[in-house]
Order: sequence, then C-alpha cells, then structure tokens
Amino acid sequence: MAAPATTLPAKAKAQAKGKAAEARDRRGAARRPESSPLERNQRRTFWPFLTPALVMFVLFFVAPIVFSGWLSLNRWDGLGEMTSRGFANYPALFRDPVFTGALKNTGLLLFVGGGCVFVLSFAITVVLRDMRDRNVVRYVLFFPVLVNPLVFGVMVGLLFRPSGIVNFVMEHIGISDPPKWLGEQNLMTMIVAVTVWSATGFYTTILMSGVEQIPRSYYEAAELDGAGAWQRFRHVTLPLSWDVVTVCAIFWTISTVKVFELILVFGGSVGGAPPKDTWTSAMYVYQRAFNTTSTRDFGISSAAALVSLVLITIAAVLLRRMMRRDAIQFS
Amino acid sequence: MTVTTQVPARAARLLRPARWGAGAVRALCAVNLLLLAWMVLTSLRGTKEVFDDPVGLPTEPHWDNYTKAWQTGGFGEALGNSLFASLASALIAVAIAAPAAYVLSRTKRKVGGRMTMLFALGLGVPGQLIIIPVYVAFARTQDFTHLKLLDSMQGLILVYVGLAMPFTVFLLTGYFRSLPVEVEEAACLDGAGALRSFVRVVLPMARNGLITAFILQVIGAWNETLFSLVLLTSSESRTLPIALLNFIDQQQYQGNDVGGMFAGVVIIMVPVLLLFVVLGQRLINGMTAGVGK
Repeated sequence: MAAPATTLPAKAKAQAKGKAAEARDRRGAARRPESSPLERNQRRTFWPFLTPALVMFVLFFVAPIVFSGWLSLNRWDGLGEMTSRGFANYPALFRDPVFTGALKNTGLLLFVGGGCVFVLSFAITVVLRDMRDRNVVRYVLFFPVLVNPLVFGVMVGLLFRPSGIVNFVMEHIGISDPPKWLGEQNLMTMIVAVTVWSATGFYTTILMSGVEQIPRSYYEAAELDGAGAWQRFRHVTLPLSWDVVTVCAIFWTISTVKVFELILVFGGSVGGAPPKDTWTSAMYVYQRAFNTTSTRDFGISSAAALVSLVLITIAAVLLRRMMRRDAIQFS
Repeated sequence: MTVTTQVPARAARLLRPARWGAGAVRALCAVNLLLLAWMVLTSLRGTKEVFDDPVGLPTEPHWDNYTKAWQTGGFGEALGNSLFASLASALIAVAIAAPAAYVLSRTKRKVGGRMTMLFALGLGVPGQLIIIPVYVAFARTQDFTHLKLLDSMQGLILVYVGLAMPFTVFLLTGYFRSLPVEVEEAACLDGAGALRSFVRVVLPMARNGLITAFILQVIGAWNETLFSLVLLTSSESRTLPIALLNFIDQQQYQGNDVGGMFAGVVIIMVPVLLLFVVLGQRLINGMTAGVGK
C-alpha cells in the first residue's frame, strides 16, 4: 500500500506524540481538503457497504467455528442434557478406529489422489500446449467438476456391476476374470479414481493458465541447448509455473477434506450408512451427528470437524512454506 | 553431437510422445462424451433391457421413466425447490457481496486488506464444521420465534447465502479491482453520491463479473448436498440431490428402476451442462479466477 506523500510528516509527528495522537492525526487527515471527493465518498460508504456481507460471514463462518469449539468439549445428543467432557472427546476420537480410518482415507485422497491429479493434469497440459483444438478438449475435460458427484456414483455403480458394461467389454477382449470392482476391498480405490477423473480437467485448466504465460522463447532457448521434452518440463515448465502449482495444491487440500457425496452414494444406500472402511472425515462428522440409526453425539462430531479444519490449516501453511519461491514476472 | 544428426533425432523424440499423448487425451475426451451419451440413453431404457444387454441402445424410448421420476420419484417437486433455492440464494448472495467487494477493492485502509484476507480464508472452512452449529442454531431459533428455518426453503436459502460469501466476495473483489476508477471520478464530479454512483455507474460496468458470480453460485447451490440432506426432512421440501438419494434408497425395497434413476440423473446434470455449453469460457474464468495472474 502506497502511503501518499502528504501523510509522511504527519506520521513522523505522531510517532513523537504517541499512539493516541497518531489515531487523532489519521482521523484529521481523513478530513483534509486535498483528499478527493471520491475518496471521501468511498470512506463514508466503507462500513455500510461491507457490513451485510460481514454479518453473514460472521454468522456462518466465524460463529460456527467458535460454537464447534465449545460443543467439542461436551457430550450432547441434541435433545437431552449436555454433559461436560473437557478435552476428553479428542483422545477418544483418536482411539476410535473408524475416525483414524477416516483420516487415513482423507489422506489417501489427498496424497495419492493428489499425486495422480498432479501428474495427469501436467501431462495433459503439456500435450494440450501443442494441440490445435485444445479449447474443445479442455471444455470436455472440464465439465465433470460442474456435476454433482452423486451422478458419478450412480454412473459407476451401473458401469461396474458384475454384469455391467465394463465387464462385458473386458470379456470381449479376453479377460474373463475381472476384479470385483465394487467389492468392499476395492471401493476406496474406485472412490479415489473417480475423484481424480472428475477433478483432472479443472486442474488442467488452472495449470494451463500458468503454463501459457511462459514465453515460447524460453523453450526455444532450452531446445537450442539440447534439452529434451522431459528436461524442458523439469527445468522450464515446472519451475516457472510453481506458483500456480501451489494454488492447485491448496485447492486440492480443501476439496478433498470436503469429499462427501461420492462416498454417500458409493455405499449404494442412504438409509444405512456406507461401509465404514470408506468414510472420510466429512462422512464421519455427518454419520456421528445425523445418522438416525445410531446415537448421535454433537460433541465428538464437532471435535472431528475441528480436527479437519486444523489439518487443512496445517497442510496449507506447510504447502506455502515448502513451495515458496520468489515471484516471477514475465515482461 | 553435430547439428545434422541432432535435429532429426530430436524431432523424432519430440514427435512420438507428443502424438501418442494427443491420442490419449483425445481418447479421454471421447470417453467423457460417451459416458454422457450413455447416461442419457440409459434414462430412456427399460430396466430389464439394461440388465439383459448392458451396451445396447434403447429399443423404443421409455419416456415413462421421466414421468415416473417426475411424479413418484418426486423429481418434479424437487426441481422446483432446487430452482428456487439456487436462483434466490444466488441473487441475494450477489446483492450482498457486491457492495462489500466494491469497497474492499477500492479502500486504502489497512482494515480493508485484512477483511479481504478474512473472506478468502473462509474458502478453506469445510462444510462439515458449519453444519452442526447451523443445525443447532436453526432448531433453537425455531423454538423461540415463529420463523421456520429447519425443513424450509427460507432456512436453506439463508444458509446458501451465508456459505456463498467467501467465494463471491473474493471473486467480485478481483473483478472490481480490474475496473477503471476514472469513470467513478467523473460520476463523482458530476455530483453523483456514493450510492448513486455505485448503482448507476459501477454495477453496470461490472455486469459481466456479477453474472459470472451469480451463475457460479446457482451451480454451487444446485449441486449442494450435505446441508440440504441435514436441514430438509419432509418430502415436499426436497432438493434434487436429496430426491436422487431417496430414489436410490427406495430401490432397496421396491426393486430396481434403473431407467427412472438415470432420468433423475439427467434432470440434475443437464441444466448445468447447458449453462456450461452456453457460458463455457466465462464459467471457467470465474472458477479459476485469481490464479496465476
């Protein structure tokens, strides 16, 4: 933020006078005749214009976090008396194999799924760079991210039935003993695969916006130096789109912690819960708080939700730390 | 290595994987399109047909799958609810977020930067953290006032507006920043007040950004599942994802109706795809806004 030159002497004076004086001076500066009428208008409308959005934000983001923090210190089924448990919910959570399993599944989506998305979307980006009809292709790859994942759950359920289309095709090309696609041991792999498939187009588009800004001349220079496709990727594309990769990694972290619909429908049923082996942290919170067939406990599920927020925060901070590079300007 | 041997070798090395890669990417595209077509076709087939011959085309279109989904599956009512909830929430969300985003994009105050950051941080808060407090708060408010918030459209819309704040404010702040200040200065010199200049000058200039924010919020609310699953309990207030989930659920007891289920899938999927076909690049730009530039 560039401070206008006129405020500089005011600042120096204020430092001598102390903080109260500084605040007074700043308010005084706001009334200065040389500030334009537009700026004055903008200053006057700041709070009235901002407040409605801010109120909604506080109601639906800040307050719930605080309230969850308090709920997580209690045991409560939502109807009866609330009993205080102190911090006991948190150790109990990590002793629950279903919760640690849910964290493991979220981790699987985050790291294994994330790795696949990274490799696939970078590969597609590099390929698309030289394709003439790249915009059409990009559109077709992009659309799954706009569709409710429930749809893909239903779709995969019919495609991979034992007598479904996939096995039908496999039989025709000579594989008579296909894997049990939707068996419980394979469900998580399928969930990761479908998530990766539906997200790849979105990340490809983001990466492309970064890669397209790299000047062609860099590649020509690299080629003249005898760099092959892999070396050009490793030493030109990757380092110069690193900022975009960081943003993608943070997007991916946030979105994997929210994965819910696909798991819900992959169990084949909503009346009962999907198999516990496939729960993610979002599913764990939902089942512990709102599944009518078991005892609900808002305390432990709030604790689980907070743990996922803490994990997102840690992951985002670590990602920024690990991937920090100096900003690159192409001129 | 001399230049003469290097060039053909390099060309071969470059061309082969590139052509192979392009083929693979085109194949992936074809798979995506085939899957779309297959879902639409399946929605027109009878259940027995689908099970007997998984790859076949519909012998005669079973339009009754749609009437069944529409009436007994409750997709008709759910479509109305989904339309209402997503359009209303998007309109209100943009109306609330636009003024906030505008002042955040123009202010020179320190607190402005912090507020922009605060809204952006909201993007990282997962829904499962918000749902329990919102559910409890709605239940309590309902007990004390006559305002129906659980199992009602107004409650759901309120939640969707709240949830839309981080992204909508973030997107629009970036958009307002890209608009020139000179026009506002001119309006101000002509004696337009702050509100008047915002409504008459800034908003029309920002029309494209506002429409993008609106459409993205419509799609977001259209697909939203967790909150409507928890907050809506009666069959009259269901939205489309919940109608689909219920349809799947019913099959456990009433036998399979694959055609009807895919009719429901098509009803959920097609409006979004149509929007994407019409507004493609604009939606992509909105969803990837603030990245890489």
